[in-house]
This record gives sequence, C-alpha cells and structure tokens, in this order.
Amino acid sequence: MANIVDEVVVRKSVRVGVPAARAFSVFVEQMETWWPPAHHIGAEPFQAIFVEPRTGGRWYERDARGAECQWGHVLAWDPPSRVTLSWHLGPDWKFDPDLAKASEIQIRFIPDGPSATLVELEHSALERHGEGYQQLRAMLDSPDAWHGTLSAFASKVDVEAQP
Amino acid sequence: MAVHELAGHLPVSRPAVSQHLRVLKEAGLVADHKIGTRRVYRLSPEGIARLRAHFEHVWEQAMRGFETRLEAETPKKTGEKHGKHRR
Repeated sequence: MANIVDEVVVRKSVRVGVPAARAFSVFVEQMETWWPPAHHIGAEPFQAIFVEPRTGGRWYERDARGAECQWGHVLAWDPPSRVTLSWHLGPDWKFDPDLAKASEIQIRFIPDGPSATLVELEHSALERHGEGYQQLRAMLDSPDAWHGTLSAFASKVDVEAQP
Repeated sequence: MAVHELAGHLPVSRPAVSQHLRVLKEAGLVADHKIGTRRVYRLSPEGIARLRAHFEHVWEQAMRGFETRLEAETPKKTGEKHGKHRR
C-alpha cells in the first residue's frame, strides 16, 4: 500500500545568462534580492534571507529588527552544481520542525555553455504538508502506527466534527 | 476502500476507523461515496491539487524573481538590446 499516496512535485526551470557559480551564489547568498517580498513568515518583512553554506545549515529570514524565522535546513550542499533544502512551511506559512512533515527542494545548476546556466528546481513530497497527511500515511502504510495517533485524533474529531 | 476493509488491516475497531476517515475527509484528503449500503473512501485528488497549486504559485513567482535579478547583470549581446524584458 506504500504507493497509494503518490509524491506531489512542482518543477520549474529557468535559463540565466551567467555562469553556474554566479547563479548558485545569487540563489543561496542573495536570496533576499529576488525572493518575492510578499512571501515572508515573520511578522515583519524580511531584510535578509540566509542559507548557511553547509549540510545541516539553517535556512532562515531575518527582519529589520533582527527577529529570525526559520524556513528549513540544508540537506545537501554541493556548490556550484546543487543544493537541497528542506521546506518546513505549509500553506499557512508556519514553521513545523518535524522533518517528516517537511518537503524537499532540490536546485540544480547545469552549465549551458561558458556563460549561461540552466537552473532546475524540483520541490517534492509536497503532500507531507497536507493536514492529516501523517495520519493518512500511518493508516495506509503502517498499521502499527495507528494506535499512537488514535487518541489525538479522537479528540480532534470531537472538535472538528461540529460545523 | 470500504471501512470494514480498512479495519481488517488495522488493530482498531471499525468505529475508530470511521472517525479517522471523517477527519481526513474534513481536511480534504479523502472523499467518499455510497455504493448500495456501503460507504467507500478514496484519496481526494482535490486536496492534493490545492497543495500543489499553492507551491506552483510560490515557485513561479520566486523563479521569475531570480531570473529577473540575473537578467539585470547579464551582458547584452548584439541584437538583444531590447531583450531585457523578454517575458
């Protein structure tokens, strides 16, 4: 039953007119210069976005007052050709530290001649952000896990069953 | 899949399975319909589609931002003088 929930993936690619090292650098070191400003999770707009340059590093935003909000972690750091990040923000833009509920973003920087780069982004396992996903997985994939979630579920049902 | 089929795989009662499914239904991740007297559950493609659409939108905007950011520093080639705003 493991494949009942198919992986949900979003893919994007763009070709940029700079070498891969430059594209990589702008992507991870200057994210605040291109990330849509409306997409911040802190109370205030971000002033900077950081991707710590190592596997296990943090990915976070910082506002003008110094308050930080984490987005995810660096799962793989392989400059200038690839970086993999975990994404812990559901559609509600709230951080969830549980890696099992985080999706995964892999960005590959593929040289296209000496002065251009194809940037391919794949954001996978999006279904992990779905409310009830953990319970669904537990039910379909691992009957033993059912017991642990059941009592929490029962109380949630009591609340949510009321219109 | 029907409730009794799910319950057969699980160490819990049928009413508990029904409760579980109700929560998943309210979250939009499963859908149900009746076949005769049986209620049959399936995964809801709509819930998953909403999630996917959300991230599709985020990355469409983000990657366009990234592309525009780097266009600003791309050396102009002959014949591309007006190529900055290609989109």
